[in-house]
Amino acid sequence: MGGTIGIIVDISLNSLVLSGVFLIVAIGLNIIYGLSRIMNMGHGALYAVGAYTGYTLVATGFNYFVALVIAPIIVGGIGLLIERTIIAPMRKRSMVYTLILTYGLMFFLDGMIKYVWGNKPCFIDLPAFMQGTLSILGTQYPIFRLVTLFLIAGIMGGLMLFLNKTKVGLILRASSTIPEMVSCLGINMSYVHMGAFVLGCIMAAMAGIIAGPLTTIDPLMGSEMLISSFVVIVIGGLGSLRGAVLAALLIGFVQTLAEFFITDLAMVIVYVLMAVILAFMPRGILGEGKFE
Amino acid sequence: MKRFITVSLSLMIAVLLFAPQQVFAAKPVKIGVLVPLTGIVAQGGLEMKYGIEMAAEEKGTVLGRPIELIVEDTRVKPPVAVTKAEKLVYKDDCKALIGVFSSGVGLALSKNIDKLNVPFVSTHVMTTKFYGLHPLVFRSGQLANDQTAVGNVKGILARPDLKDRTYYVIVHDYSWGHDAGERFIALAKENGIKVYNDTYDKAPIKTKDWSSYISKIKASGADGVYMAFITNVIPAFAKQTSDFGLQGKVKLVSAAAPGPLELEAGGEACHGIFGASDWAWDVDNANSNDWEMRFWKKFNTIPSDAAVHSYVGAMNLFNAIEKAGSTDAKAIADALRGISFDGPYGNVRISAKDNCMRNSAVLTETMAAPENPFGAKVYMKVLKTFTADELGPPE
Repeated sequence: MGGTIGIIVDISLNSLVLSGVFLIVAIGLNIIYGLSRIMNMGHGALYAVGAYTGYTLVATGFNYFVALVIAPIIVGGIGLLIERTIIAPMRKRSMVYTLILTYGLMFFLDGMIKYVWGNKPCFIDLPAFMQGTLSILGTQYPIFRLVTLFLIAGIMGGLMLFLNKTKVGLILRASSTIPEMVSCLGINMSYVHMGAFVLGCIMAAMAGIIAGPLTTIDPLMGSEMLISSFVVIVIGGLGSLRGAVLAALLIGFVQTLAEFFITDLAMVIVYVLMAVILAFMPRGILGEGKFE
Repeated sequence: MKRFITVSLSLMIAVLLFAPQQVFAAKPVKIGVLVPLTGIVAQGGLEMKYGIEMAAEEKGTVLGRPIELIVEDTRVKPPVAVTKAEKLVYKDDCKALIGVFSSGVGLALSKNIDKLNVPFVSTHVMTTKFYGLHPLVFRSGQLANDQTAVGNVKGILARPDLKDRTYYVIVHDYSWGHDAGERFIALAKENGIKVYNDTYDKAPIKTKDWSSYISKIKASGADGVYMAFITNVIPAFAKQTSDFGLQGKVKLVSAAAPGPLELEAGGEACHGIFGASDWAWDVDNANSNDWEMRFWKKFNTIPSDAAVHSYVGAMNLFNAIEKAGSTDAKAIADALRGISFDGPYGNVRISAKDNCMRNSAVLTETMAAPENPFGAKVYMKVLKTFTADELGPPE
């Protein structure tokens, strides 16, 4: 079943897939923090809502790729509602208020998930062409995992294009570094914060529906992913997009390699890595983190 | 005036003499039910609660008093379970505790049983540490790890498609998983079954992406996997091994029975999982067939082993209280030793020697279900039945 090269291919691809999912969730969290200084503790729950919404859409007959578009829009709408009703009124207060508020939001959304979808795990049915395996250098690798890699690359490419090549993207980037100047130019910062929150929620939902077929959709998936994405943004530096990319790749590879070679200590190693980076590089591996 | 005082006094004496008995007669016997209703095994916890509720309803009364169940959520966390148990005993005045999913939770509760001073009947704890653990601690429900290992090893040896394989052992990283893995490895080696990794893999309970572990299994060349995972994780692991093209090539043998709802969710990817279990709805006897239809009508949920274990455990407890003739902790515990109940999986007897149950069990394989009243698409087909004596342990 594949020699050394097969093992290397397996580990590399597994790491990339895991990194990709971490990345999309963490980027969403980072966009929200970078632009509006809100540490959204409900981000993991929104990731789970995205996965469950995608599951429901596919179960009711929608194509997986259609669900991949619709589910994030729905979760984006939920995000808009949350931002306007809960987050915006608290924006001028200390970050602790929104931290506690979004912590409560996490429990509320988790409860809603259990109420709507129950406790049992769900699996997303994939289109026929994504099922089965492909032989790569002596190892059989699931086709949908390869498709997932392309989807992640596509989402990240699209996000980079949006941020770098559009006027809205320019405003968002400027707002993350010099919000006062952006405000002086007559741009309503309230809309910037709202847009950042909605974009973050859309990213969380996309990650959810991408991760759904890879793992299992269950009510706990959000809180577990929230912890992993915090690790990524802490290592990458709070608010740093480039740092998040690097950190996601690092965590994905370290976790996969550790699970393969020293299974019992896999998660310990990830957290030790985080502690070391926090101690010696408090602004993340690229030193771009924005601390407050 | 004299007559008024005489009548009043007579009435007061009559009230004092008779009323208390009527009040006590109506006072319910409170039983504390500890199940996980949130967290990773919430579905199993809900099914356990259903099983106990069904038993209480069917039993109706004990000692001529109604049974009152007070349910608390353990969240599968030992400290939470202990706190909830204290609340059930000290505040609610429960006379016994029943339920508990997870060996870790069961052992934590047992450590505090002297302080709680009530009998504790576990229905979903498999650790072998429960044998003779404490005079107030009992197991009446799921097979223990040693019994499951015996069933699985006998099953592997009896099946030509299973016996000449090399097994990769992987468990959830907590006390039950470790115990299950070690029991299987020792017994498998005694019986000439090849095991790839004597130091078995321990995966964190929160593992969602099994790809690294599956890559290890592929790299090992093992063509069998012995897995000790929490019940609702089994279909997730099976589905991911199927995604990697291993279904059928690498046979999966499980130390725990997968939940029926989880099997439904996993669909065809969950075909081909072997495992020893007390019960599956394919068990064909009048008692089992009748019970599963009653359960289905009451809860509209596919009958599960979690529900049946708890039902049987609750029946043993209620019958023991009746037999004890009181709600005194020691009297109930004495009555529990040696008690038995004829339920959906035959006679379930709590050993007087070690407080743990002895019963028959079945070897099952998951596959496409025939037409059935529950609308299930995947089921655990019974391949073989083991007697209680075959499974042991000897008394």
